[in-house]
Amino acid sequence: MGKPNDLVQGTLDLLILKTIAPEPKHGWAIAKRIQQISRDVLQVQQGSLYPALHRLEQKAWIKAKWKETETGRQAKFYSLTAAGRAQLEKEAANWSRLSSAINLVVETT
Amino acid sequence: MLWIRRFLLRLQTLVRRHRSAQRLNDEIQFHLEQQIAENIAAGMTREEARHTAMRSFGNPTVLKEETRDTWGWTRLEQIAQDLRFAARMLRKSPGFAAIAVLTLALGIGANTAIFSLIDVVLLRPLPVRDSDRVVLLKWEAHKQPRADGYSSYGFCLSAAFHFHTGEQGAEPEGCSFSRPFFEHLHSQVPVFSQLTAFVGSPDIHLDRNGERTRVSAPLVSGEFFQTMAVRAALGRLLQPSDDLANAPPVAVLDYGYWQTEFGGDRSVVGKTIDLDNIPVTVVGVAEPNFGQLVPGQGWDLWLPLDLFSRMNTHWSSSNDDETQWWLTIIGHLKPGVSLAQAQGAVSLFFRNEMLHGATPLSKEADDPRISLVPVQKGLTGNRWQYEEPFYLLMAAVSIILLIACSNVSGLMLARTASRQREIAVRLALGAGRARVIRQLLTESVLLAVGGAVIGVFFSYWSLAALRSSDWLGSIHDFAVKPDARILFFTVLVSALAGILPALAPALRGTRIDLTPALKENARTLPNTSQRGRRFNLGSALVVAQVMLSMLVLAGAGLLVRTLANLRNINPGFDTRNLLLVELDLKDNEYTPQQAQNLYRELQSRFSSLPGVTNVSYSSDALLSGSLWSGGTALEGRKEEVERNLLSVGPRFFATMRIPLLSGRAFTPDDFGSKHKVAIVNRAFAQRYLEGRSPLGLHLGASKDDPGAEIIGVAGDAKYDDLEKPVEPTEYFPLEKGRVNFELRTAATPEALIPAARSIIHELDSHLPPADFTTQTKQIDGSLFRERLVAHLSSFFGLLALGLACIGLYGLLSYEVTRRTREIGIRSAMGAQQRDVLRLVVGQGIALALAGAIAGLAGALGLTRYLQSLLYGVRPTDPATFVSVAFLLTLVSLAACYIPARRATKVDPMTALRYE
Repeated sequence: MGKPNDLVQGTLDLLILKTIAPEPKHGWAIAKRIQQISRDVLQVQQGSLYPALHRLEQKAWIKAKWKETETGRQAKFYSLTAAGRAQLEKEAANWSRLSSAINLVVETT
Repeated sequence: MLWIRRFLLRLQTLVRRHRSAQRLNDEIQFHLEQQIAENIAAGMTREEARHTAMRSFGNPTVLKEETRDTWGWTRLEQIAQDLRFAARMLRKSPGFAAIAVLTLALGIGANTAIFSLIDVVLLRPLPVRDSDRVVLLKWEAHKQPRADGYSSYGFCLSAAFHFHTGEQGAEPEGCSFSRPFFEHLHSQVPVFSQLTAFVGSPDIHLDRNGERTRVSAPLVSGEFFQTMAVRAALGRLLQPSDDLANAPPVAVLDYGYWQTEFGGDRSVVGKTIDLDNIPVTVVGVAEPNFGQLVPGQGWDLWLPLDLFSRMNTHWSSSNDDETQWWLTIIGHLKPGVSLAQAQGAVSLFFRNEMLHGATPLSKEADDPRISLVPVQKGLTGNRWQYEEPFYLLMAAVSIILLIACSNVSGLMLARTASRQREIAVRLALGAGRARVIRQLLTESVLLAVGGAVIGVFFSYWSLAALRSSDWLGSIHDFAVKPDARILFFTVLVSALAGILPALAPALRGTRIDLTPALKENARTLPNTSQRGRRFNLGSALVVAQVMLSMLVLAGAGLLVRTLANLRNINPGFDTRNLLLVELDLKDNEYTPQQAQNLYRELQSRFSSLPGVTNVSYSSDALLSGSLWSGGTALEGRKEEVERNLLSVGPRFFATMRIPLLSGRAFTPDDFGSKHKVAIVNRAFAQRYLEGRSPLGLHLGASKDDPGAEIIGVAGDAKYDDLEKPVEPTEYFPLEKGRVNFELRTAATPEALIPAARSIIHELDSHLPPADFTTQTKQIDGSLFRERLVAHLSSFFGLLALGLACIGLYGLLSYEVTRRTREIGIRSAMGAQQRDVLRLVVGQGIALALAGAIAGLAGALGLTRYLQSLLYGVRPTDPATFVSVAFLLTLVSLAACYIPARRATKVDPMTALRYE
């Protein structure tokens, strides 16, 4: 993975929160989902995914539950908490403000 | 809300750490399996799929650690790990652990004990509210205003106080005043909202349940408790109406006294107690923390000042006499009045009273004035006596702590050397230097914690022992309650004891060249380039220990010699086999004739006791610290002469074995005779008569009184203080009042105490209980400071020496073990036992000598700070220094001998085969 694909610092949290907002997912599914939706542009470094998940869990933005997958394996499913939902809205708003600002700068010059 | 949830989450991960870790493994495993499944689906072989998945995942261990970091307990976990590991290491070498813990315990214990004393005696604040504006009156003048009687009752004695002017050029100062001055100040100078005067306890006895016990009861004027802003724990405190001339006698109990003597009985309020036949009603108990005004002197109860005149004590007749100075005065400044304003007003008033009062007591030129001192600073009691000894002892125990730390440091250094492989392995495996240092630090902190626990017990025991000894002089009545200051100090000392020892080994141990350390066998390691340096560090520590112990020993040696010198002072009379019996006769209970009869009767009954060779009496015992002095007229001299006064009984000079140089001694006819007589000492004749004979001259003559004729000259004898030179003294016949019997005995004086006691009881069962002591004990009592510092500092000196020798022993033992192979080779090459002995002992002695020389040099520079505590010995006394160095050499020889013996036992074959 080259530099361009590296996630902007701090955006991984936003992506994780966004990805699990509709329904609970396990770690691998989260990584897959981000990759899919971004059409393979964003590759989540697995090395940073799990620390991030645990950090978010410690912040009580997401909660985890061990459940059976479709294949009958036990997996840890992450879902948003109320605080996490609020955090998602805040970070999403931040992100759109930031990206439109960057767009403005990039397009005018 | 959120933070509570977060906290609970964190707590959960802590408590269920192992489960969480297991779960994390499962999670990662699941992820990898998913990835493998996907890879297989994409057409890879199983093996290939696994490798690709692992590769894209990265290092699971690092990942796990990073994830665990987010749980926020890493640091704590590491500390726990370190602690577990340290405990395991220490368990593996219990000998090392025990020595280290005990060494640190001695250091910490000694420091805590001495600091507790300092805390109690010097630092603990007065139990007074608003203490900045509560001030003590202190007078100063170029020359002491006239005082026919003067006592400070030990409230604010200061080293600078000189009753006799002109001594060492210091200005006389004091804080005792007369009753009339206090009354005038109270009514005429409106700068205080409250003003109080008080006096220390006279001899008062409490009759309770058929027993007569002496109680300590200061007498205080009406506003005492208001001035101090003290509250009552029970009942009420004294108030101005209790201090009126005809007020019914009342008392307030000290809280501690109430607890111990009355068992905290609440019904005591309203009860009547019997104080020397005066019925006194208890009206209340003071609050618990109002205990001691002066360090170490606890009080049992407080009485109204006016009761004094009814108690017939020494100052009873002094109420209206402005030449009797006996009251300590404290005032609470009025709101809005500044200290300077108040001082100006009081000073002016004092000056006016002194110069223009009914009896002028001072001269304009002497500039009598008052300064107002905050009570905390002013009410020193005899604190000044303790400052120097205590700070000196503090310095000694600080040195002990340093020695203990460097001792443990040396032991750890030897251990880290043998653990170098372990440390090298850990460093090679990626442990940070900081982590390794932390590991070593954890070990020494663990040792220090053990040391602190045992040390606190040590200090507790030693304080109890000190309290039951008589080394602390008047300060025996104290409770060492571990307050915040003592706790803080102990924690601080223990922290030092935890950190200092680890410094040297930590720095040394982690500065390892990894390759040889890992490649070579630990035993051959010392042959690497490290060798020279480690040798130096360990040796330096031992030299430092020896040096420090030399400092303590040299100081102790000087103080011991001081004590010996003081004990060898010739007091001018025979102090051996002398029993002292003190009887406090109340003036009002005996007419002079009755008193004379009583004295004579006791004298003759004591004389008939078997083993008693001679008996006499005097108003005060010699060398008891009491002194009576004043000025008087001497026939043929214009100015008054200053002299000490002592009233004595018949045969006094014979009993005390004070030689009579000329004239005659007192005969029974001189007592109660109209023709007054006196005996002066040689110092008197020399100072005032330039060697002419004083016989026949009259002392104290006035217009209508011929005074006393001098009938004899006695040899010089010390009066109140062993160290002071003998001053001009006048002896005259004792008529009445307090008396102290001296019994010269053939054998141990103590054996006569029961017989003497029953004689007193038979003669008059109403007599107050007598105090018995011996002249030697009396002298010891006056030398308590010197004994305290001499005994404790020699104890600490020996402790320091012992610790330093343990350090020396440890280093040499380690060296012998390390050099087993070298010694084996030497023996194999034909070295004799003697050579091996010389090798080891030589090294030890070299270290000891280096330390001794450094220590002596240091001591030469430092002992001059002891000057004020020394007597008859110079701070650089060569004899002391040489003998201390000799002692050190002897003891260190013993410390070297044991490892050296072991070295000679090295069997060359075993030593070499060992490789």
